[in-house]
Amino acid sequence: MNSKHFYSSALTLLLCISALSGCTSTATTDPGDPHEAANRKVYAFNDSLDKNIMTPIAEKYVSATPEPVRNSVTNFFSNVSYLNTIVNDLFQGKIRYFAKDSGRFVVNSTVGLGGLFDPATSLGLPQRNEDLGQTFGVWGAGEGAYLTLPLLGPSSYRDLPAPLMGMALNPLTYLAPVISVPLGAVNAINTRANLLDASRFRDQAALDPYTFVREAWRQQRIYEIYDGNPPGDGFDDFIDDSGDAALLRVY
Amino acid sequence: MAFRSNVFEWLRADHYYPDGVLSVVAAEIPMLKRTLLCLTLLSVLIHCNAHSAESEQSSAVLVVENLHSVLINAMDGGEQLGFRGRYDLIAPVISESFDFPTIARIVTASRWSDATETEQKTFLQVFTDLSIATYADNFATRNGERFETLSREAKRGAVIVHTDLVRADGSKVPFKYLLKEYDGHWRIVSVIAQGVSDLSLKRAEYTEVISNDGFDALVATLRAKTQAFGGQ
Repeated sequence: MNSKHFYSSALTLLLCISALSGCTSTATTDPGDPHEAANRKVYAFNDSLDKNIMTPIAEKYVSATPEPVRNSVTNFFSNVSYLNTIVNDLFQGKIRYFAKDSGRFVVNSTVGLGGLFDPATSLGLPQRNEDLGQTFGVWGAGEGAYLTLPLLGPSSYRDLPAPLMGMALNPLTYLAPVISVPLGAVNAINTRANLLDASRFRDQAALDPYTFVREAWRQQRIYEIYDGNPPGDGFDDFIDDSGDAALLRVY
Repeated sequence: MAFRSNVFEWLRADHYYPDGVLSVVAAEIPMLKRTLLCLTLLSVLIHCNAHSAESEQSSAVLVVENLHSVLINAMDGGEQLGFRGRYDLIAPVISESFDFPTIARIVTASRWSDATETEQKTFLQVFTDLSIATYADNFATRNGERFETLSREAKRGAVIVHTDLVRADGSKVPFKYLLKEYDGHWRIVSVIAQGVSDLSLKRAEYTEVISNDGFDALVATLRAKTQAFGGQ
């Protein structure tokens, strides 16, 4: 065999092995996150994009825009994407909520001037949030496996189709790209601005931001699927029924 | 029938009903009287128990409200107190309000029993410091916020207190506390805000750090975080 060929093959093989070993070197401690190594890489990518681009832009946006304006931007984008919530109410059999959310959409679109204002909340039609992922959850689907998506962040097998449905039911999607793309950018920046406090808290409190985001996201999904009333009360794991108080005391 | 003004005489009297049809009933009446008395005593006992359960729940609520009022004080003191001042202000109340030993055991899961007593004591001290520092840092200024206690419920020996953090613009952040009682004191074991449990979050993180890097690495990380807060 040609020795040059042999060495280049060996090098290629070595490179492949080292590249692949990156995918298996991290011990997976969470059975619900079998793709942890890949997820961490995507998380790192998203995080660097966020810290270097999105966060500085969002912070400038906050300092340049008064709060009422930002509230109106938030209201507008929430309203225009509300069909997703309404349709998923129906899929989940939540007829009362379907009616209320339809009412909210109509009121805010008309009286609220195209969704810029939110008179519906004071009329007893508060904002709710339903999506296809929650619908699958209500139908009994578990998470499947945790995923970190590029740019979009936390997701799971169950929640993967949700953004697609959201886009399909959002009228802005069907506008010419020259309008929909800048609008999409504004939405992204505004959303990021609304989450600045949360991300600061995460940065400050988290030992391991990846795990922190994964766990917080998971718990929040369960909270959303059960509309604020998860089975048990989140404390069931920790309430000690054994009666053996000695186990729980250090001193 | 003579009126029995003395209830004990009445209870003891077995034979003041005439014979005949009522004699069968008369034979049952003493039993009936005693049953009635027992039921009355029982209902009084249950009432007393309910009252003490009520008062236990109230004690638990007081712990939460005490914590909230010291946090409000810290926020009011704000920049004048500085981080150190707020830390010193809230430290005694936080140490008393939270059941740190139980929390420490839970957030380290199965690794707690593997740790030596010294390691456990160290972890406990570092963890307590970090918790106080986190509160001292987060409750630094007041912009019209206040806390509202909404309700409480008993659950399997624990008490859950529902509260709201009400911001100046009227928007509310709901969260709830789980309290358990040890040695006559109610202490907070967990806080859940909008479905996300502080205890679960920490447990997931800490157990991952322990599996990957070990117990000592966790303690070192917690120390570093505490120092980052106060610039100690």
